[in-house]
Amino acid sequence: MSTTSNRIEIDSAEMPREGLKVVQASDVTGDRLELSADVVIIGSGAGGAVSAYELARRGLDVLVLEAGPYVPSRDFTEDFTESLETLYEDHGAQANTDGDLLVLQGRCVGGSTVVNGCVSFRTPDFIFEEWHRDYGLTDFTSESMAPYFERVERNLSIQENRPHEIARHSMVLSEGARKLGWSVKPFKRNIRECALTGHCLSGCKTERKQSMLVTYLPWAAAHGARIHSDTRVDRVLSENGRATGVEGRVVDREGRHIADIRVKAPRVIMAAGAVQTPVILQRSGLGNDQVGRNFACHPSFYVGARYPQPIHPWRGAMLGVYVDEFMHPDNGGFVLEVGGLGIAELCMINEPGTGKPFVDYMQKAAHMAGIVTLIHDHNVGEIRWQGDHKAIHYQLSDKDFPSMMASLKAAVRMHLAAGAEEVFLPSSEALSVTREADIDGQVDKLVNKPQHLRMVSYHPQGSCRMGTDPANSACDPQGRLRGVDGVYVADASLLPSSLIVNPQVTVYALANYVADRVS
Amino acid sequence: MTSSPESDRAAAHQAAAPMAALSRRRFLKTALLGSAGLAVLAGGTFAVLRRSPVDSMAVPDSIRHLSHSEYHLFRRATEVLLPVAGTPLTPLSEVPVLAHIDAMMGLLPAHLRKDVSAGLALFDNAAVVSGWHGRRFVDLDDNAAVAYFDRWSRGHVIQRTLNAVIKQFVYVSYWRDPKTWPPVDFDGPVSDRWGIAYLGNAPLPDESALPQTVENRT
Repeated sequence: MSTTSNRIEIDSAEMPREGLKVVQASDVTGDRLELSADVVIIGSGAGGAVSAYELARRGLDVLVLEAGPYVPSRDFTEDFTESLETLYEDHGAQANTDGDLLVLQGRCVGGSTVVNGCVSFRTPDFIFEEWHRDYGLTDFTSESMAPYFERVERNLSIQENRPHEIARHSMVLSEGARKLGWSVKPFKRNIRECALTGHCLSGCKTERKQSMLVTYLPWAAAHGARIHSDTRVDRVLSENGRATGVEGRVVDREGRHIADIRVKAPRVIMAAGAVQTPVILQRSGLGNDQVGRNFACHPSFYVGARYPQPIHPWRGAMLGVYVDEFMHPDNGGFVLEVGGLGIAELCMINEPGTGKPFVDYMQKAAHMAGIVTLIHDHNVGEIRWQGDHKAIHYQLSDKDFPSMMASLKAAVRMHLAAGAEEVFLPSSEALSVTREADIDGQVDKLVNKPQHLRMVSYHPQGSCRMGTDPANSACDPQGRLRGVDGVYVADASLLPSSLIVNPQVTVYALANYVADRVS
Repeated sequence: MTSSPESDRAAAHQAAAPMAALSRRRFLKTALLGSAGLAVLAGGTFAVLRRSPVDSMAVPDSIRHLSHSEYHLFRRATEVLLPVAGTPLTPLSEVPVLAHIDAMMGLLPAHLRKDVSAGLALFDNAAVVSGWHGRRFVDLDDNAAVAYFDRWSRGHVIQRTLNAVIKQFVYVSYWRDPKTWPPVDFDGPVSDRWGIAYLGNAPLPDESALPQTVENRT
């Protein structure tokens, strides 16, 4: 390896010390782009970036098309409201058809890896067992996938939070879990020298988060991959049952149509995420009737509580510890993650009451701490292209409602054990709990109806399920889309069932696995 | 920083998110079938007669996107939702909440703007019969206005939606302003202020030191 003043070289590959060479809408001069590649990859997030690197280093000519903009880290503002506009799908307003579940996804070069909380879990053993039992996926075990996990863990500096990365909110709530005798552990995160700014969801301005923006994408580019932003793929093209490329539009940040684009490529890798990947396939008329079905999303509550002492939930590492006591489905099937948040989120997540109660609540903003609940939800949703817009059909199922309530009750108990004065329930009406004896009575007031619960999904998944049976899967066990040769899926769409844990490491590993099998 | 077009647009989308996903057909169907819809239908028969003192009040020239009635609805909602007088929080007079809402509203997509407009009219006028106030929302006293919001927070799906949408427009417009942050110790952006070094791109992996997956092994 040799290093020059502004470039790093390894063997024949070289890359800039910072930034990324991206063809943006502003670089396009004509009204039509005609390109070709060995492989065209749709999406530059966890699945797309890993696929791009693994294929480019094998010597393939790789072209990555990203619908969102290229925003260099230095341009991140650490203002969550502004970040929603520039870095998130639908400007942060992507929601289910009932409008009561926000589905947050990154939409920028690097995708959701730019705006996630860095939490890194390997796929739990019991999930692999479920995939084997229910979907015939015998190749996926903790042992067989270990090399894939190890590669990505080393490449992304994934390590357990050190003591200074456990912020005050995490310390306080750890103590609550310990009092209850629950297992609580530090997260592993993909981060180098965390600066403890608490602004993970707005992108890591100083490039400590090891997102695709500062890892696999520049590495792929160093091996010759080309990256285009502002490029919305409308259709995958095929002839005689074989992929021939894609077509789409270059659209600038103001929504202006700059150019049409057409790419000739014998291999297409779908990595646009679990909402956009099935939409593009449906628009293309490709795949079987399972494309878009079996959508899951880890519907989450953010359970906030007020403490007597200052917590400053926006200070320190955003995610410190989690409770895995109930992770296995036999033990409840949910995870509690202690998470920080900023002022903009705080005023939107809870309904403490109207007028004076709200002002009292916000006056004590620095005394708030929160817990994110994750459940192993059933794949009851569906993504559907409606002719002129996408629709996310997902309602919390009655099968999952008890798990949601169990996770909520556990989160409330943990807050109270940690010394919280008042725990706010994630409802459209003002409901709270101040003592353990009231937990059941208050939580049991919640009903599973639209607009009653305040939920967020950070982990859309499962809309192009892989499996051995075409009757319940869109892709085969190697990620190949059924019904057409040369189209692969390499993102969270593949997941046969919901993971219960944050999916980024699973997606990285699966993308590597699929890339290995691209022929 | 606080009112760039980017952050205005994002805040608007966020505030209107609960409404964004309700298709127009569903919105109207829900409103018409629900108690709120019944209220507005009943209210509609005399809403045109239900004049309000605010109808003759001026709207600042700087307001470009809110209609006259929307401006006064949000003006009244801000007073009701953010009674910060006498608290350490930043006075409303120092935060251009309505200007922020106006800017946000101007950035909503047309179809969503239309639905929000219909929803706001519903919220204002339904007070005539919903709860039997006999007056529009803009004319309710503080206690009645608070009770009206609270009742809608427990009501039909469209009532819950509008309760959330109006509150989020107001809350976000206030709290996104950096002037509101010092009283609650919120730090805002910190990296440049703290002088944190940029790490740049991670070095290329040394493949010879990494586990090789079966198909890649050379």
